[in-house]
Amino acid sequence: MTTTTTPPGVTRPVPAPRRTAARRSSAFLATHPRVRLGLLLTAPLFWLGVVYIVALALLLVTALWSVDSFTGQVRTEWTFDNIVQVVTGSLYQTVTLRTLGIALAVTVIDVALALPIAFYMAKVATPRMQRILLIAVLMPLWASYLVKAYAWRSVLSQEGILEWLVSPFGGHTPGYGLAATVVTLSYLWLPYVILPIYAGLERVPDSLLEASSDLGGKPGRTFRSVVLPLIFPSIVAGTIFSFSLSLGDYITVNIVGGANQMLGNLVYTNVGAANNLPLAAAIALIPIVIIFGYLALVRRTGALDNL
Amino acid sequence: MITLTRGARAAMIASVAVGSVLLLSACGTAGASGGGAAQEATQLGEMEKTVSILAWPGYVEDGSNDPTVDWVSGFEEKTGCTVDAKTYGTSDEAVNLMKTGEYDVMAASGDATLRLIASGDVAPVNTDLIPNYAGVYDFLKDKEWNSVDGKSYGVPHGYGANLLMYNTEKFPQAPTSWDVVFDKAGENAGKVTAYDSPIYIADAAVYLMTHQPDLGITNPYALDETQFQAAVDLLKAQRANVGEYWSDYLKEIQSFTSGDSVVGTTWQVIQNSLAGEGAPTAVTLPKEGVTGWSDTWMISSKAKSPNCAYAWLDWIASPETNAQATAYFGEAPSSQKACDFRDDCEAYHAGDADYASKIWYWTTPIADCVDGRTDVQCVDYSKWTAAWQEIKG
Amino acid sequence: MSVIPAIRVTGLTKQFGSTTAVDHVDLEIAAGEFFSMLGPSGSGKTTVLRLIAGFEQPTGGTVELFGQDVTGKAPFDRDVNTVFQDYALFPHMSVLDNVAYGLRVRGVPRTERRDRAMRALAAVRLDQFAGRKPSQLSGGQRQRVALARATVVEPKVLLLDEPLGALDLKLREQMQVELKQIQRDLGITFIFVTHDQEEALTMSDRIAVFHDGRIEQLGTPRDLYERPASRFVADFVGTSNLFDADLSESLIGRRGEHSIRPEKLTVSAEPPSGAQMRSASGSLVESIYVGSGIRQVIDLDAGPRVTVLERNDRSRIADQERGGRVHVSWHEDDVVALIPPGA
Repeated sequence: MTTTTTPPGVTRPVPAPRRTAARRSSAFLATHPRVRLGLLLTAPLFWLGVVYIVALALLLVTALWSVDSFTGQVRTEWTFDNIVQVVTGSLYQTVTLRTLGIALAVTVIDVALALPIAFYMAKVATPRMQRILLIAVLMPLWASYLVKAYAWRSVLSQEGILEWLVSPFGGHTPGYGLAATVVTLSYLWLPYVILPIYAGLERVPDSLLEASSDLGGKPGRTFRSVVLPLIFPSIVAGTIFSFSLSLGDYITVNIVGGANQMLGNLVYTNVGAANNLPLAAAIALIPIVIIFGYLALVRRTGALDNL
Repeated sequence: MITLTRGARAAMIASVAVGSVLLLSACGTAGASGGGAAQEATQLGEMEKTVSILAWPGYVEDGSNDPTVDWVSGFEEKTGCTVDAKTYGTSDEAVNLMKTGEYDVMAASGDATLRLIASGDVAPVNTDLIPNYAGVYDFLKDKEWNSVDGKSYGVPHGYGANLLMYNTEKFPQAPTSWDVVFDKAGENAGKVTAYDSPIYIADAAVYLMTHQPDLGITNPYALDETQFQAAVDLLKAQRANVGEYWSDYLKEIQSFTSGDSVVGTTWQVIQNSLAGEGAPTAVTLPKEGVTGWSDTWMISSKAKSPNCAYAWLDWIASPETNAQATAYFGEAPSSQKACDFRDDCEAYHAGDADYASKIWYWTTPIADCVDGRTDVQCVDYSKWTAAWQEIKG
Repeated sequence: MSVIPAIRVTGLTKQFGSTTAVDHVDLEIAAGEFFSMLGPSGSGKTTVLRLIAGFEQPTGGTVELFGQDVTGKAPFDRDVNTVFQDYALFPHMSVLDNVAYGLRVRGVPRTERRDRAMRALAAVRLDQFAGRKPSQLSGGQRQRVALARATVVEPKVLLLDEPLGALDLKLREQMQVELKQIQRDLGITFIFVTHDQEEALTMSDRIAVFHDGRIEQLGTPRDLYERPASRFVADFVGTSNLFDADLSESLIGRRGEHSIRPEKLTVSAEPPSGAQMRSASGSLVESIYVGSGIRQVIDLDAGPRVTVLERNDRSRIADQERGGRVHVSWHEDDVVALIPPGA
């Protein structure tokens, strides 16, 4: 009705969109979802391919090379010498076991600490307290790794706070060594374990806990039968962080580990001081193999199915 | 002294993080190829406009790190050569950078010099064109790490020793021997510290020179299989008593302050820091002798600004500048006159030839024994590295 | 009362920070009763339910379960069970395991708990879905699983927190009937929280209408509907034509606030004649066909706008034009006096 009564020229008709190239390609993409997906994923896939896969492959390939002890050049002939040396050498076995032990201890401690903290944050604390705690957990991540490691060095020293705290009760600081390494690494990686578990717990509706309690489940039973199975993937995600970060660490053990060395130190020495990149690559494969083994183990438990 | 930067620490660490089998090969062929094609300059010409310098951190300071630490501006004013400085972290890195030919001048440690000479990347230096060279301590001139076939390849910069540090409360009497970290280390089990580098095996060798003379060690960097094994065994025994190994300057200062370490290897600069904090520590030069380092300024064989380069070598060797630079880094200067501009020369035993003679300067062990033996093969640095990992376990 | 009530709530108060969610509520619910708590969101009805279940601890007052004070006891120590609004089925367990959970917790042997769970599932006609995960069920099926899970442990009181809220209308009406049947079969007390007045009226033996943390009125559905005690109840339970004190005086001829239900009003062209009939004139604003009847909106000359709901067959003036003159009439008995709260 209005269109007929409006004199021509008063309202200009909305012009039809111009057929630009951008518009045409958008129109094409809109009706071809597969092409769209392909274009979207090309860049990230390229990077994934180059940065991760190729880097890993290169590492493996490098491990199969050797260094000419005369010229110092990397010899690109295939040899399993480095692998054999790393697998059979008692030094590597000892250090691997030590590193594995540290990583496992750190992971167990971190999960044991993270579970109650994350549970409190997600299910008990008021929203305000929740925010404060979340910031408190994240805060250490803002500080430099080195600062934190040196702080622990100071805490654990013979004249440190720990000694001062426990000496009245006849205790002593463990000093620098494996225990100090485990303590420091546990501290360093704790936020990485708390956060996924916290996120996992956030996704568990409160009503599930209430339902369990309502049906007669005491807190322990509720935790075992309802909470734990639901957040198991989150716990696994957290342990992957603490475990793999510990496996690869070489700085903390250098700062608080006393005279001990971990796999990372062997890699570092062979890259830096010894200029033996192939051997370093072979050693670097140890934690990678362990991590893959761990992931395979986790997969078998089905923890990754619901991720 | 306390203002010593992390860079300087890194430099010290890196000067030990030697490495490289590249060097070994270079040395292996050094005799044959001599100084390469590079020729030394016979006279100087017009100053160019710029000079590019490759050096350890703390060696070329223009006041940008600390306004009071500046010996570049004076050089630029005096010569008109604008300095373009780059620092490096390891000798390996430096050698690779030097190969690009982008740099005119370089400060190199004993583990890099021979490699550069052998590959022809640096030119012989005509010391007659460097007036201040005359003042340099004689005991630093014509050494195996700065001269080949009687030709000098640079100007010494500064040197220092790896000393024995002890806690004065634990040791009311200054120890006179390294045995406190070796045979008697058990008395301070868990509180002994040692330098974290394969080159530390030389320290054990120095000790064995006195205590197991029948091994016949004459140079701690030239160890045959038997001698090497003895040094490694000594260090493995020491390992049980070591609280921690250090390669970080701050780490050792802290552990001696807190009492986590009471005896072990150290540098003079660390003692200076600790003394400043009032920590109960002291250093001594044990009767067996010590290991140490000595750095050299060299000129690239492809230098684009050779005249500015010679001017820099003269400038940095001048007593006042050398005093500033070596004081900032924490080492002994290269000349007696430099001590007129430093009040801590005594602490570094500068010019004490007797002291200096007790220092076995870091040299990279190679298969061709550096002590001149030809009847045996010496253990090369790659095996030192492997052994060092074994020792730490 | 000589018979011990299933639930007795005395002076129950719950504060969250500075807001009072439940304000001195007293309540007695008889065993076997289907009791509804009705109110808009934020009226405190759900909080009362959660206080009875033990999910919240009261700021003041007591909760008694069959004469036993359970205030301060944990949910797992109370013989009540809850059907949650979101059903709260354990997503990692099968339907059977969900239903058997309460039995498992109580240590019932495996075969017995399986049998009982299957029977409970059969009662809600879901036995063929026992092996499925909750995510594989429809909303109505999940709702029935939740019901089976809560009833399998044979609680004395079942608490239902808006259990039908997430279902569509058709399913909801169907479930209303089913719930009522299940309650009758089990013979246990149901406490049913809803904001849907029709649902409450349909199913309940008695209803408590909540408003601002207090019980506004408590009574049978008929009481509430026919004799709303307050303006709030009259408005919330069904629709009402409300008259304030002045209008009541002039139109109805009585003192105080009053209300009349839309279906109690009649529209006619002429003023009605008959004993106890009153009427007022006005003009027709809107006439809407709603299937089962006709809703007419009329502006009375005296001021207020009223709604009239008439059955189809009686709508003699369905064709009346908008703006036409009409008379709205009512029987004296259908006028409800509203007592202001606290009066």
